Amino acid sequence: MKLNERSVAHYATCDSPADHAGFLRKRVERHHHHAHHHHATSYQRRWFVLKGNLLFYFEERESREPVGLVVLEGCTVELCEAAEEFAFAIRFDDAGARAYVLVADGQAAMEAWVKALSRASFDYMRLVVRELEKQLEEACKSLAACRKSPRRSSSSGRKRHLSNPALLPLQEKPAILENGYSTWGSGGGVPEGAACPDRDGGHAKPPPLPPRRRSAAGSAAGSPAPGFSLAMPESPVSPETACFSKLHSWYGQEIAALRREWQERQKRGHP
Amino acid sequence: AVLKKRLVKLVVNFLFYFRTDEAEPIGALLLEHCRITKEEENVFSISFIEEPERKYCFECDSEEQCQEWIEALKRASYEFMRRSLIFYRNEIQKMTGKDPLEQYGISEEARFQLGTRKQ
Repeated sequence: MKLNERSVAHYATCDSPADHAGFLRKRVERHHHHAHHHHATSYQRRWFVLKGNLLFYFEERESREPVGLVVLEGCTVELCEAAEEFAFAIRFDDAGARAYVLVADGQAAMEAWVKALSRASFDYMRLVVRELEKQLEEACKSLAACRKSPRRSSSSGRKRHLSNPALLPLQEKPAILENGYSTWGSGGGVPEGAACPDRDGGHAKPPPLPPRRRSAAGSAAGSPAPGFSLAMPESPVSPETACFSKLHSWYGQEIAALRREWQERQKRGHP
Repeated sequence: AVLKKRLVKLVVNFLFYFRTDEAEPIGALLLEHCRITKEEENVFSISFIEEPERKYCFECDSEEQCQEWIEALKRASYEFMRRSLIFYRNEIQKMTGKDPLEQYGISEEARFQLGTRKQ
């Protein structure tokens, strides 16, 4: 499966702030061919970086490319009954997906990671955003009710309509609201202390909702949501999580193959 | 340029694409730090910040479908959602004096702070 790995690696290593980072020991997953075969469990120390719903891990802190990627959708993060202290596991609803067993340095580190990872999913973020959008609508409404003048203007053309501005589609300002492009180091993005690009008499126009994810297959997925559909809770268990577990294994294999190749060339005295 | 017919699925901040009769994706694009651009009629492209000249082009069946996709993809990144969240939080706080994230127990998280994410 192809991936825009250069962009992914760039996102992983660029100076956009990570949501969490640190060393963790990752259990090495082996394939058990025989039920009674006992393999010694081993762990590899890796540098982990959480950005959004993506957990990257690197061989070293200074590595320029991650060696693995875990997409944190449709998963649970739980404390682990492993032999190791301070262990926790990322497990997926997709039965075929491998689990990730990780070990932190101490109690505080473990708790911080579990907390950060539990709330990292896009779905979680989207739920919170929808909830806040509702709250903003309600706040605007009560504000509009307070400001409404008892005396309506009598001039015919003029209609001071304190409609809820949140219902109006936002006029897109690409430099600020576009997809993360040009935010790092180029002066674009949300200016500090002034999140709203459009101010209209004190009523801000919030950005439109992200599209709802449709699980039905079709040639167009994720059409934009109407302004204020109530957030229907979408199950995190969906067929798409199978796509992500394939992405995880792909990423690991691809990198492993590249490294083997490189190591072989080194052995042969290739410059 | 050769155009190939693909089933395309937007799932959170990933765009998966499939051969039309297959269940497993042949590829995916992570939609962070990317730019969505309208090209000629019915066509949009996705390009990435570190390689802006490399464009992934998609031709739609109609201009309407093209606009729908552009709007959906522009909002598809986690970073966009994060900015929306910070924006709403700030607006609600200004209007009501209350921090709406407190009820979720996430008000202190660095990733939701306005101005934390330096440009």
